[in-house]
Amino acid sequence: MKKWIVAGLLSLCFAGAQAAEPPPGMIKLDGRPAPALKLSDLDGKRVDVAQNYGRWTLVHFWATWCGPCRREMPTLAQLMQKLPPECLNIYLVNTSESEDDVFAFLASVSPELGTLLDRDGQVTERWQPRGLPASFLVDPQGKLRYLALGGRDWASGPYLNFLRELTAK
Amino acid sequence: MPRIFFLLLFWIPPLFAADARLARDGVELFVSPRTPEQIGAFYAARGLPPAALQELAKVCFLTVGLHNKRKEILWLEPAQWRFVDAQGQPQGNEVKRIARPEWAARWKALQVPLAAQSTFGWTQLPESRDLYPDESVGGNLTLVPPAGNFSLIARFRTGADGQGKMIELTVPNLSCSREGATQ
Repeated sequence: MKKWIVAGLLSLCFAGAQAAEPPPGMIKLDGRPAPALKLSDLDGKRVDVAQNYGRWTLVHFWATWCGPCRREMPTLAQLMQKLPPECLNIYLVNTSESEDDVFAFLASVSPELGTLLDRDGQVTERWQPRGLPASFLVDPQGKLRYLALGGRDWASGPYLNFLRELTAK
Repeated sequence: MPRIFFLLLFWIPPLFAADARLARDGVELFVSPRTPEQIGAFYAARGLPPAALQELAKVCFLTVGLHNKRKEILWLEPAQWRFVDAQGQPQGNEVKRIARPEWAARWKALQVPLAAQSTFGWTQLPESRDLYPDESVGGNLTLVPPAGNFSLIARFRTGADGQGKMIELTVPNLSCSREGATQ
C-alpha cells in the first residue's frame, strides 16, 4: 500500500513535465555550492537545510515590507500543494525581521506557510540574492543552479512545468 | 514576456519634489527625490533606531528605478554616475554620493544593530548589477545635500563584457527638499 502512495506522489512530480528552458525571469547560475543555511523556524526548531539535500530545493528569501513578496507568498503555498516535499523541498527565509512581525504577516497572508528566521540578515547576505524577493533553486547535490529574479506566480504553467521537469530528472 | 517587478517596491507620495521619468535606448529610468519626513517615516516603520534616523535626516535621498528593455545586459554602476549642480553644466560642482561602505562605517560608529543595517542595505540601489533583459531594479541613492538644483548624468555599459554601446541619460532639475531636516 505504502509503495502505491509513494508511486502516486512521484507521479505528481512528473505530471505535465515539458518545459525545457527556464521561464522568463529565471537565470542560470554557475553551480557553485550553496552557502550554509542553518536557522531556526518560528517554533524555535533549528534547521540545517543541507541535511535535506538529495532532491531539488527552492530557497526563498523575503521580508514583510517587500510588496512583491506579499503577492508571491500565496503562490508558494499553492506550489507546495502541487509539488509535495517528495518532489521539491521549499524553504522560506525571512530577512532581518522580528518573530512577531513575521508571525502576524504569515497568519494574514498564508497561514499554512512556515519560515526560517534570519534575524540579523547575515545568512541572507552570504547567499547574495539580487534583491527581495529572490528564490534559488539548489540541485540535489547542493549546488546553486537557478535564481528567480523578483516575484512571480509559482503555481502558474511556465514555472510549475519547469519545476516538474527539474524534479523529474 | 511577463514584466519582472521592481525588486524594491515601496511607494511614498511625492509631496514636494518632482519625479523624473526617461526612456531612451532601451533604458527606462525613474528618479524621485524624497523628503526627510518621508524617509524618516519609511525607515522608522522598518525598525531603524532613532540614532540612525537622525543620520538619515541629514542627507538627500533619491529613489531610483531602472528597467532594462534592451536585449542584452545593461550594467548598473552608480559609481560611474555623476551628480552635478548648476543644471549639469560642465563647470558645475560635483555633488557627492554616499556609497554603501560609508554607510557601513556610519552604522558601525553608531552601533546600529545588524538587522537594521541589513534592512537599510536592501533599500539601497546596488553598487553593481548586470541587469538581464527585462530585469528591473529599484532602490535609494544618498547624496550630500546640494545647495540648489542639480542634474544626474547616468552612464551605462552594455553587453555581457560591458564593451557594447555606452548609454548616457541626463536627468536635469532635480532638487532635494530639506524641509524637516535636522540640519
